[in-house]
Amino acid sequence: MVEKVPSQHLARTVAVIGNPNTGKSTLFSALTGVHSRIGNYPGVTVEKKLGWFEFEGQSVRLVDLPGTYSLSPRSIDEMVSVDVLLGRQPDVGPIDAVVCITDASNLERNLYVVSQVLDLGLPTVLVLNMWDVAVDRGIQIDPVELARRLEIAVIPCEAHRRRQLDEVRRGIIQACQLPQRTPPDLFPQTFHEEARQLQTAFQQFGNQNLPIYLIERLLLDVGGQLETALTKPNPAELLTRLKAARERLATAGCRVPGIEAKLRYGWIKQLMQGVMTVPDKRPATVTDTLDRWLTHKFWGLLAFCLTMFLVFQSISTVAEPLMKFFEVGQKQVGGWVGSLLAPGPLRSLIVDGVIAGVGGILVFLPQICLLFLFIALLEDCGYMARAAFLMDKLMTKVGLSGKSFVPLMSSFACAIPGIMATRTIENRRDRMVTILIAPLMSCSARAPVYWLMVAAFFPTVSWAGGWVTLHAIMMFVMTFFGAVVAIPIAWLLKKTLFKSETPPFVMELPAYKWPSPGIVLHRVFDRASAFVLRAGTLILATSILIWSASYFPSDHRAEQQVLVQIQQAEDQFSSQLEQKSQLRSRRELLLEDQPVPVQSAAESSAPIEALAAQLAELDAQLAELDTQLQPLHELFETRNQISERLLADSYLGRFGKWIEPVVKPLGWDWRIGVGVLASFPAREVIVATLGTIYSLGGDVDENSQGLQSALKSATWPDGRPVYSIPVAMSIMVFFALCAQCASTLMVIRRETNHWGWALFTFVYMTLLAYIGAWIAFNATGWLMTFSGNS
Amino acid sequence: MRFLRKVARMSSAISQTLPLELLATGEQGTVIEVDGDPNLVIRLEEIGLHSGVVVRMIQPGSPCILEINHQRYSFRFDESTQVFVDLTP
Ligand SMILES: Nc1nc2c(ncn2[C@@H]2O[C@H](COP(=O)(O)OP(=O)(O)OP(=O)(O)O)[C@@H](O)[C@H]2O)c(=O)[nH]1
Ligand SMILES: [Mg+2]
Repeated sequence: MVEKVPSQHLARTVAVIGNPNTGKSTLFSALTGVHSRIGNYPGVTVEKKLGWFEFEGQSVRLVDLPGTYSLSPRSIDEMVSVDVLLGRQPDVGPIDAVVCITDASNLERNLYVVSQVLDLGLPTVLVLNMWDVAVDRGIQIDPVELARRLEIAVIPCEAHRRRQLDEVRRGIIQACQLPQRTPPDLFPQTFHEEARQLQTAFQQFGNQNLPIYLIERLLLDVGGQLETALTKPNPAELLTRLKAARERLATAGCRVPGIEAKLRYGWIKQLMQGVMTVPDKRPATVTDTLDRWLTHKFWGLLAFCLTMFLVFQSISTVAEPLMKFFEVGQKQVGGWVGSLLAPGPLRSLIVDGVIAGVGGILVFLPQICLLFLFIALLEDCGYMARAAFLMDKLMTKVGLSGKSFVPLMSSFACAIPGIMATRTIENRRDRMVTILIAPLMSCSARAPVYWLMVAAFFPTVSWAGGWVTLHAIMMFVMTFFGAVVAIPIAWLLKKTLFKSETPPFVMELPAYKWPSPGIVLHRVFDRASAFVLRAGTLILATSILIWSASYFPSDHRAEQQVLVQIQQAEDQFSSQLEQKSQLRSRRELLLEDQPVPVQSAAESSAPIEALAAQLAELDAQLAELDTQLQPLHELFETRNQISERLLADSYLGRFGKWIEPVVKPLGWDWRIGVGVLASFPAREVIVATLGTIYSLGGDVDENSQGLQSALKSATWPDGRPVYSIPVAMSIMVFFALCAQCASTLMVIRRETNHWGWALFTFVYMTLLAYIGAWIAFNATGWLMTFSGNS
Repeated sequence: MRFLRKVARMSSAISQTLPLELLATGEQGTVIEVDGDPNLVIRLEEIGLHSGVVVRMIQPGSPCILEINHQRYSFRFDESTQVFVDLTP
């Protein structure tokens, strides 16, 4: 994907514009090779994207834009498109030509914005995309006649199959050579006169030389963004002039804004006469059948919940064994690197800092890939818009609309694209509320924390023949916990800071389709590489910082001596160690093959007795080995004592002890407290930090494998285990609710144009997290003693 | 709701003009007029709900699902917005 970027002045700039979900980004990606996000719902693209291509010696700079139904922008994403088109975006500059992308199967409506674009007088190419869909529906269009009537190039195209791309390229190149066109004139004479008068008024009072089409748009868009933008020089005078002009037009029988739709649709009707034939019969489609179930008041909601649960169940079923495999790999790499280097700061940095830290987070790669696979499938099959429809009923209860649901759903992948996607929300107050609650949705960076805690501290119980597991249920519950908390928050915000009526809801529901493997795999690859990149940069850097803080300033010589002794002892006892690990795995296999007995004891006593005998035999052998290995155990014991003391003496340890009183009410020890604090810039850091801390301050012995077992064996100074289900719950709830992501706060600042809202989000979420974690710790503890006693 | 529908139907027996929300599943009609807040009305017109088009009710209710030219939309209007359709049998 290396793009040649030709010199700026030679390249022509061409904007890609059209209704939402017509395949603009698909065509853009196909033409330029620059990946632009694609999905089967309106509002995927919310920011402009630039790409280059060269054809027949001419280079073109293509601008992919958010979809828009008209050039009178009402939401921020539409504003971006219109600004670029009118050449009002300094980083894009003036536009040389426009490619209008239309959905050939719904051409009349798509031509509305085309007719507005034609008014600009720019050279234009009309692409009839989704030609395959139109053909399937029996719609016949005559592109040659249409081109003759419009006097522009009209090109049928199937962007997702990359058909007719050369024709599109040629059309664009040819359009770039053409001069400005004279736009078709739809409006009555009085309208143009008013526009000219207004232009003179602007020259007088605003002292600007505005093009006439901008003035015409200003006249047409009542209460639009242009009103505030253009009347800035002298708002009072110019706005009264504008109002008077509109009133005069109304008395002349040309009432804005209503007149525009009437005139344009009239023009379209005339244009299409004899160019397009649509069959009378409406064929029954798969979409009909699917929608009957998926948008049903009851079955639809049930299907939604089931789908979500299925996602987590399959991630948990498929990914947990993979994760074990990765953990073993991580341990082996650590051991191998450790054997190459002499004990000392360098070895500690690599083994404890990098491998235990960054490796600890990388073991979650399979889960991340699967999660994004499911998200991409849902996005590209057309279900997203249905989910928004279903949720509209619930969203109105808190004063929002289904439109807010799509950004919130995107936030389950990552809050940053989610917050960007709020640009499609027209109402400013609703958009603000949606932005402020979006970080509560459980993003994929929280998932590793849940996976770690759930896998380590919740028993592996399953029901329904292994189809439903406790781990998957816990993951499901934790993932939607933030969303549930967001409900009262949204309601509160909508009642206080952002008081406004529940907005109306208008949304296009695209036809269902099979997800394209290319699009889906690209999205998975994209996110997986972003995850690895983050681990290799941000998390690596923090891991090294955490390692330095926990290694220095103590004197590690005594510890190094013990480490050397351990290595020698391990070489000496290698055959026993080998034997021991074999016995242990046999023991585990035995226990795994035997499901937890549910039948009455009498029926199954024979196999159980046999099992018990085998177990006793193995345990005896293990005990025998352990006595032989006693010297090694003692060495580990010494190492753990020394390391523990060194860690407590380190900068990190001193700092941790200092903050311990704050986190103690949540059931955390100072290590968790430090881990949580370190993860305020990015939440996955907790996994890496705990990895480093436990690798350094080691409750380790020769079987310790990865972070999970380290967590399980961590103890308070008095010997009680640190972690229990209440502590795990309290950590998970804290992570579910806390605003631990610097990038999200940055995006909130940018999208709201104010630091205040970023600060507000940070404060309210952190408070919520602390209180939530406290409640979770105490409530789970109480529940467990209660159920334990009864 | 059903009662309202009956009354509306009887009173408009001659012209067969109905508010859109009274269409039953599968019924279709031609839009006669879109009335209400001008800014919302023009929005609806831009997205395709303008006088002259044939709409088909896929799922009544609030929000409802409509089909215009094979394209489905979901709409929830505010109280001030009224869409009138002429029934086409
Ligand atoms: N059948 C068919 N599907 C297509 C064609 N071109 C694109 N698609 C699909 O249409 C959907 C929308 O494509 P996008 O490229 O995201 O559309 P967009 O116009 O960029 O949408 P927004 O960014 O939301 O405005 C995707 O699922 C594509 O796979 C085509 O020619 N035929
Ligand atoms: Mg797009």
